[in-house]
Amino acid sequence: MSLLLSSRKWKDLSLLFPICLFLGIFFLIPLVILLIKSVTVPSFGLGNFYELLATSTYIKILGNTFLVATLVTVFAVLLGFPLAWCITLFPKGWGRFLLNVVLLSMWTSLLARTYSWLVLLQSSGVLNKILMGIGLIDQPLELVHNLSGVIIGMTYIMIPFVVLPLQASMSTIDPMVLQAASICGASARSVFFKIFIPLCKPGIFSGALMVFVMSLGYYVTPALLGGVSNMMLPEFIVQQIQNFLNWGVASASASILIAVTLVIFYIYLKVQSDSPTSSNKGS
Amino acid sequence: MLLTPQSIGWKLKSTLYFITGAIASFLALPIFFIVALSFGSSQWLIFPPPHWTTKWYERFFDNPQWIEAALTSLQVALMTSIIATAIALPTSFALVRGKFAGRDYLYSLFTLPMIVPVVIIAVATYSMFLSLGLTGTLVAFVISHVIVALPFAMISIINSLKLFDKSIENAAVICGASRLEAIFKVTFPVIKPGIFAGALFAFLVSWDEVVISVMMASPELQTLPVKMWSTLRQDLTPVIAVASTLLIFISIFIMLVANILRKRSL
Repeated sequence: MSLLLSSRKWKDLSLLFPICLFLGIFFLIPLVILLIKSVTVPSFGLGNFYELLATSTYIKILGNTFLVATLVTVFAVLLGFPLAWCITLFPKGWGRFLLNVVLLSMWTSLLARTYSWLVLLQSSGVLNKILMGIGLIDQPLELVHNLSGVIIGMTYIMIPFVVLPLQASMSTIDPMVLQAASICGASARSVFFKIFIPLCKPGIFSGALMVFVMSLGYYVTPALLGGVSNMMLPEFIVQQIQNFLNWGVASASASILIAVTLVIFYIYLKVQSDSPTSSNKGS
Repeated sequence: MLLTPQSIGWKLKSTLYFITGAIASFLALPIFFIVALSFGSSQWLIFPPPHWTTKWYERFFDNPQWIEAALTSLQVALMTSIIATAIALPTSFALVRGKFAGRDYLYSLFTLPMIVPVVIIAVATYSMFLSLGLTGTLVAFVISHVIVALPFAMISIINSLKLFDKSIENAAVICGASRLEAIFKVTFPVIKPGIFAGALFAFLVSWDEVVISVMMASPELQTLPVKMWSTLRQDLTPVIAVASTLLIFISIFIMLVANILRKRSL
């Protein structure tokens, strides 16, 4: 009997052989080599990390990366919340329409959307023309190749990643709980802030963490919409390799990025306690 | 209260409609804007365009470099989609049906390529292919794309497999089919939409992939996003709007098909 069981187990595990082989060779080993390079290239030791942390430009890049990720997370949550709420509130009609817009935006080519913002935000672009047309400004604003360009473009891209987890957690809230509070005499305002928002917290938290960690590692949008003075970590890594062939410094900053990402992801997993593989959904 | 349409006042309701309408336009307008611009006559992308024209489309289709890039993209995405699905399929079976411990950990491990920033994967695989002398080859493109596409294929297949009632398969076995026969003749046809949707998502991930491709590309071999990227860094020519429009329409088309399939599998 136990022999039978263990042979069954081996069969299950052998199904995992292709993925383990593939990800092992092409993903994990290169990743580990990259991590090792951070302490061995050009010479063994923590030299690369000292060099990084002693350079003021690097500290500035690191600070800028966290600043952008934080701002983008805040804006994406603020704009994503009403969308998620409406999708839950009107599951047919308007909410359905909003959900489709979110999915459309999420699955439309990233490069195409970033290019669109590049054109929209340029000094002769539509946005500046409208603002000047209605007399809000006399001179075109510098909206692109600086921090505002990165924030607008990244928030735009991250909104769907807030809406989806937030909507999923909102749809599990029992409307009766809110009803009960209201019957007991709570005003709409206090039902919203004292019951509704706290019940949404897990959804907000997991959406925000996801957006934060994705923003930290984003390359395309900051590289195109940002300027030289507000470079982010991923751009710095690519630049070190492509322009300076400086693998040591690049690997060291990559290690820092990986470490931060994994720590945040670990927190995310702890928050999301649902098991992803078992079929009975715990609530 | 606050979660049913009947329980909120018209004031809050109209405010919500207004705010979400504004946010939805913020999400959707840039997409339509770029499609409109690709038909505009202005070299400087003035909007609204002075005239409508298809000359940028002619420019795009007359340039062998753009065509070649588009065909390379298609080739890479197709191969990526097939390989990613082939690897994801047995993995999903093991993770959903297996009785061994640590399945959740393995699931997290296999979705790691979705979590680790793409730029890191790009740099790590670039370093590997550089030492193997394989940068700028189709093999390098496909392998590196499969890494990031795998989790998408896997999640889609796992979701449809979780919804499949295993007792149907067992019934086939009791009626005399072998387990493998039952899987191929009973289970696969039922979860086929999920598998196909997973393959489409993998295709889409590869089709739209920029960061890794920019690292892997050589002047001789580049995908459409790489060609767009290198052109973008020089100027904002409307030909890029044409390429964007093509990317947008193919993405929308694939997303629609994938969604229809996913609904059918539920």
